[in-house]
Amino acid sequence: MSYNMDLYRIDLSRIENMSHGRSTSFQGVHQRAIILVLVGLFAVQTALTWTSSTSVAPGRGSLSTQALIGRQLYQDHNCTACHQLYGLGGYMGPDLTNVTRAQGKGPDYARGIILHGTQLMPAQQVTPAEAGHLVAYLDAWASSGTYPIRSFDLTPWGTYLQMNDDARD
Amino acid sequence: MPAIDRSALLFLVFGVVSLWLGAFFGLLGAWQQVMPGLFDVIPFVKSRPLHVSLVISWIFMVAVGGVYHYLPLLVGRPMHSPRLVRVHLFLWMILGLAVLGSYMLGRFGGREYWEFPPALGGLIAVSWFLLVYNFFRTAMQGRGPWPAYLWMWATGVVFFLLTFLEAYSWLWPRDDANVVRDLTVQWKAYGALTGSWNMLVYGLALVVMERISGVTEYARSRTAFLLYALGFTNLLFGWAHHIYPVPSAPWLRYLAYGVSMTEWILLARMIRHWRHTLDGAQRHQHVLAAHFLYASEAWVFLNLGLALLISIPAINLFTHGTHITVAHAMGSTIGINTMILFAAIFHTVDRVHGDTGTRVQYVRLGFWLLNGGLVLFWLSLIGAGMIKGWYTLMSDLSFQDIMVMVRPFLMSFAAWGIVLFVGITLLAVHASWALLGPFLRSRPVPVDRSTEAYNR
Ligand code: HEC
Ligand code: HEM
Repeated sequence: MSYNMDLYRIDLSRIENMSHGRSTSFQGVHQRAIILVLVGLFAVQTALTWTSSTSVAPGRGSLSTQALIGRQLYQDHNCTACHQLYGLGGYMGPDLTNVTRAQGKGPDYARGIILHGTQLMPAQQVTPAEAGHLVAYLDAWASSGTYPIRSFDLTPWGTYLQMNDDARD
Repeated sequence: MPAIDRSALLFLVFGVVSLWLGAFFGLLGAWQQVMPGLFDVIPFVKSRPLHVSLVISWIFMVAVGGVYHYLPLLVGRPMHSPRLVRVHLFLWMILGLAVLGSYMLGRFGGREYWEFPPALGGLIAVSWFLLVYNFFRTAMQGRGPWPAYLWMWATGVVFFLLTFLEAYSWLWPRDDANVVRDLTVQWKAYGALTGSWNMLVYGLALVVMERISGVTEYARSRTAFLLYALGFTNLLFGWAHHIYPVPSAPWLRYLAYGVSMTEWILLARMIRHWRHTLDGAQRHQHVLAAHFLYASEAWVFLNLGLALLISIPAINLFTHGTHITVAHAMGSTIGINTMILFAAIFHTVDRVHGDTGTRVQYVRLGFWLLNGGLVLFWLSLIGAGMIKGWYTLMSDLSFQDIMVMVRPFLMSFAAWGIVLFVGITLLAVHASWALLGPFLRSRPVPVDRSTEAYNR
């Protein structure tokens, strides 16, 4: 989120000074130039994001035909209201990024929960075949990386290095 | 003095209705989290998107209504096409009903907030074209360099449309579909979309501030423009702080980290100028609108602080995917956006009727319930997030075990939600009554009674 609300603050004492003497308007040409440069850079960023924004190895996280059907089902049933992928989504249920490959879980476990639900998760109105597509979709996520990041090294610059990821380039 | 456009006021009224309904579903969702199975007619899978879509509609309805309402006054001419304003209003009412209906029937967009089945999304884009066209045709009529709020509105209307369309780009089939890119593009779009509505809202705040203080130089100063440019830079390049843990290209993350940190400048400025702001507050004590603006100021301070902290990757590692994100989202949409929008509404009411109505004491009560409730609501979410973040990373406890520890915080969150809801109800009832007054009493079209000069 962008936090530019400081803008509307009117600091009265300074403004009164400004109106007594100092120039108050910033040239329109300068303004337009700044905006143009920013928009140009944004266009470059957009092109790069659409074409080469991942750092995963080839094949990781790619969506097969089955997984694409699964993606549509995931959206139609609004799984995201309760679940997260890489920590993004709703907060009622667990993150599903690695569920199909986690120790003690796996594709059959996931399929079972989707079809039959639990005390906390309602059974989803899907056919067994559809549950299979959903699992294929979740497995595409599992192949793309690891989340949550439990093994890390903090750096002095406020960043971290992830130590447990085998999917990156 | 130009006549006040009724359709602009109706945007505000429908916005308020949307807020109240949205808050209702939020309250329902909050209780469903701690009491699964509660009110199964509208289960959590429906109440959450109903909540989020309706409260975001509140922000858009009032921000856009505010543009339609103030722009003619600022430029000194009526909107280029008042008919298109009515068409826009009509489209949004139809869309609102369609979205409610589709969620009730269990048809979701299913990706993020303000995400609808693609057909409805297409209609929203069309309605937004009307706004972009009408906005520029009207704003271009003014003379001289634009004050900062016009830049902010221009940015808001254009970038909302661009990013909203980008958010649907997944519909475009591609052979190399990849979940990581999918998510990255999604958040590029949504980060900028949030920035866009903030541009609309902060532009509105700047206008209301200018109107109640009578000081017109600030919005035309170099400082105001440069601060706007800083916000714009963050809108364009800061979005990847939402997706630090996603294996997207590293340069995106470093760029976002660097850009996000420039906002410390804003925080530092706030601290430096704090005292002056309070001075200003005393001068305008009688104005309800000013109260809401000062409340928003305090919330800017708290939420900007939180946002800056969670934009540092090493801290984000612990807070990402926890209720701290929800605290950030609701802290700013309620504390900042909602306060500013109420300021604009009560300022409008003031001007249209020449007074704030007779029930100021209820508005004040609502104001305090909303703000007081929000403090504890916000702290409960931060508490829940800290527990979840810490134990998820630093222990081997399962999700279920961690949620048992988080539960008391979620109970507290849901309980303070009741206080919030009562406050919102008081404000919504009073605001919509005050806005609707002239229509119900079938008075002639209200005119702007203020004595302020609107022409530059
Ligand atoms: C109303 C909220 C809700 C919805 C909607 C929902 N889930 Fe769940 N889900 C949960 C909860 C809560 C759990 C944890 C279950 C428990 O603790 O009993 C869960 C657990 C799971 C698990 C097991 C995760 C693990 O790590 O143990 C999978 C897999 C899953 N859900 C998949 C899905 C899919 C796929 C959808 C959409 C088709 C979906 N869920 C929709 C709430 C929901
Ligand atoms: C009565 C008061 C309210 C209650 C009880 C409430 C409750 C909730 C709940 C339960 C969620 C879902 C969190 C989750 O998935 O776990 C949520 C999300 C959200 N709420 Fe509210 N809410 C209230 C008022 C509002 C208002 C007034 C706004 C904005 C004007 C708002 C904006 C949001 C947003 C933007 C989200 C999405 C958060 C995210 O995805 O991270 N809420 N709220």
